[in-house]
Amino acid sequence: MTTRVVLADDAPLVRTAIGVLLRQHGLQVVAEVGDRPALWEAVVSTQPDVAVVDVRMPPTHRLEGLEAAIQVRATFPQVGVLVLSQYLESRYLTTLLGGSARGVGYLLKERVAGAGDFIDAVQRVAGGGCAVDPEVVSVMLASRRDDPLQRLTAREREVLALMAQGRSNQAISEQLFLTPKTVESHVRSIFLRLDLPPEPDTHRRVLAVLAYLRPASATPPAAGS
Amino acid sequence: MIYSLAVFGVLLAAVVLPCKAVDVEHSTWETIFGGVSGLLFLGAGAVAHHRRPDNRVGLLLVLVGVGWFAEDVRFVPFPVTHTLGLMLSTASSAFLAHLVLAFPTGRLGWRPLRRLVGVAYFAVFGLTPFGALFMDLAGIGPAYQRNLLHIDAPWMLEPIRRLVSVIGAVVAAAVVIVLVARWVRASAPQRRLLGPVLLIFLIGGVASTVGNAFERFDPVRLGALAVYEVAFCLLPLAFLAGVLRVRLGRTAVTDLVIDLQQPLTPAALRDRLAAALGDRSLQVGYWRPDAGELVDAAGAPLPLPAPGSGRVVTYVDRAGDRVAALIHDAALREDSHVLRAVTAAAGLMLHNQRLTAEVRAQLVEVRASRARIVTAITEERRRMERDLHDGVQQHVVAAAIGIRAVEVELGPQLGDGVRVLLRSCGEGLETALYDLRALARGIYPAILSEDGLVPALQSWVDRLPAPVTLAAAEVPRLPLAVEATAYFVVAEAVTNAIKHAQADRIRVTVAAEVGAIRVTVDDDGAGGADLGAGAGLMGLADRVRALDGDLVVRSEPGRGTTVSASLPATTVERPA
Repeated sequence: MTTRVVLADDAPLVRTAIGVLLRQHGLQVVAEVGDRPALWEAVVSTQPDVAVVDVRMPPTHRLEGLEAAIQVRATFPQVGVLVLSQYLESRYLTTLLGGSARGVGYLLKERVAGAGDFIDAVQRVAGGGCAVDPEVVSVMLASRRDDPLQRLTAREREVLALMAQGRSNQAISEQLFLTPKTVESHVRSIFLRLDLPPEPDTHRRVLAVLAYLRPASATPPAAGS
Repeated sequence: MIYSLAVFGVLLAAVVLPCKAVDVEHSTWETIFGGVSGLLFLGAGAVAHHRRPDNRVGLLLVLVGVGWFAEDVRFVPFPVTHTLGLMLSTASSAFLAHLVLAFPTGRLGWRPLRRLVGVAYFAVFGLTPFGALFMDLAGIGPAYQRNLLHIDAPWMLEPIRRLVSVIGAVVAAAVVIVLVARWVRASAPQRRLLGPVLLIFLIGGVASTVGNAFERFDPVRLGALAVYEVAFCLLPLAFLAGVLRVRLGRTAVTDLVIDLQQPLTPAALRDRLAAALGDRSLQVGYWRPDAGELVDAAGAPLPLPAPGSGRVVTYVDRAGDRVAALIHDAALREDSHVLRAVTAAAGLMLHNQRLTAEVRAQLVEVRASRARIVTAITEERRRMERDLHDGVQQHVVAAAIGIRAVEVELGPQLGDGVRVLLRSCGEGLETALYDLRALARGIYPAILSEDGLVPALQSWVDRLPAPVTLAAAEVPRLPLAVEATAYFVVAEAVTNAIKHAQADRIRVTVAAEVGAIRVTVDDDGAGGADLGAGAGLMGLADRVRALDGDLVVRSEPGRGTTVSASLPATTVERPA
């Protein structure tokens, strides 16, 4: 069955380009829209598998793409939402997830032009999976400078990054040229070293990893400082 | 002219007083008191006119004196003078009413007052002479007491006399009401002018009332009469006292001149001027020629008093240039002599203080314009970030996707050279996007305008290659320029620390203080940093100061570096 996509971006040229790319890969673009109200209307009327949404759109040119995505996820859990953003901000990812990694994605816009990553992410989110931009994940990894992460081996850190991007064990083993069994043992070891309870379910695993990577933000200053 | 009138009054007195003295109707004391009163009016009028030629009070005082003696012309032993005297028998009272109502300015101003005085003049110079036509004492008194214009209609006499006395009572009551109302509304300097007159009126009024009440009891009646007569003698002196305030003021001016030998602060000078002028509400404004406005000692604009507010402006000029202005009670204008003396004496010091006030005023403006510039720069950066995001970035994204689509569509059909070219174009565009994103974020992080200072700092700190900790209090949303300046101070200080300090630990603290926000970056590195050395930090210090904040750098060699900026912060409501 063809994946049905609603595409929302206020720049017509970008919208057209993404549309062409999606059709080239056999996906069906059921609606192309340029602002938030039109996006909502299209989602309601076409019930697509996935909505690809620009983070900033009219009328206010702030974060209405993000807000619309959250609204769609809350109202239509079966519709996947992939947010395209120019902002390398893990904060917006956390806002977007809101406690569930089912059918959701946050990609930097330039990822769209990169080889198969974008189409793969669209397919994954349409299928109820999760897709987080590798660069966002690497910023999150870099920001955790405490000990538990230092205990991981280089290979384990690679596996952790791919888990955070929303990849399944199958995908990880293909990407790293490892057997599924080796990937599984890496995953177990990572959870053990990070003191996380094992999560067999991929969705809950992504959440757990992302939550680990992005704990509470700034701590209040100590008294007297 | 007024002096001639006064001299005429004195000559009149010289003529009528001997005649009155021999008249049996009047006691010697009465004649003496009356004469003294009249002469005092003439003298006080002359003095008042001498002091304040432009004020009509002097003229009115003289007219009261002349009228006073004109009433006694009927005792000059000729039928002609007797007849004339009968006509003028109440001449002084209209002038007196006019004088009291016009005191201290000499002007009546308010129309009802002018009408009231008009009525008084009509009664005195219209009705009374008319009534006198029906009066004749022929055969009762001495032979000369004969009315040459007599009309024999005695029944006319009584109604006219009653009418005159009713009008007299009404005018008297109105005068009292006006005086009381004036006292109630008067400012302190005005009360000092009105006070003596009012007091004498009060004493005279009470004495007259007591005298009438004890009409049949001679000791009291005569006592009250004496008091009344003394009070009437004092009345011209009371009016004169108002005029003599010029003299008192001159003493205060002398004190002021002595005080002015020492340099005074603007506040002290104001107090001295207020004391010299007797107006505690006095304000001093300094003239700014370039702006054409008055400012106070701190350089803040000073509004001019509204017309009719009872306060007026007197400008102080020096060598043809406007220096300052005194904003004071309008009553001081009656003492224009003192006002001129005071402003002349204080001119030099006001001139010096004006320069200071002008510099302060310019400073106020420069500070405001600096703050506006910083805000404008911040707005400009944000606009640039938006333009990059919505313009260039979108076009590059579209181009990159387009190339990708061509590659997918035509890949197998393309020659190797073209395929490699397309691939490297695509990669070049990706690099461009990466750089653009970093550039846009460096110009103005979108997260700063969307989510505020602390999330923006957290996000920035997260992606640093060095360990930097952020400890932040709850900070409300602040004005754009404040958030941006605080953000860039931290960014610059942390970047410096990473580059130069060789620190193991860099700590960023954001603290909310009363009406201010403080950001601090401290490290345990080499120290020895200098605010002057780093152009980046120097520029930021300028921006902090432009927002009325301050930036401090402490960096002793071997003891690490602390950069701390405090910015005044008022919370703002923003559209969500």
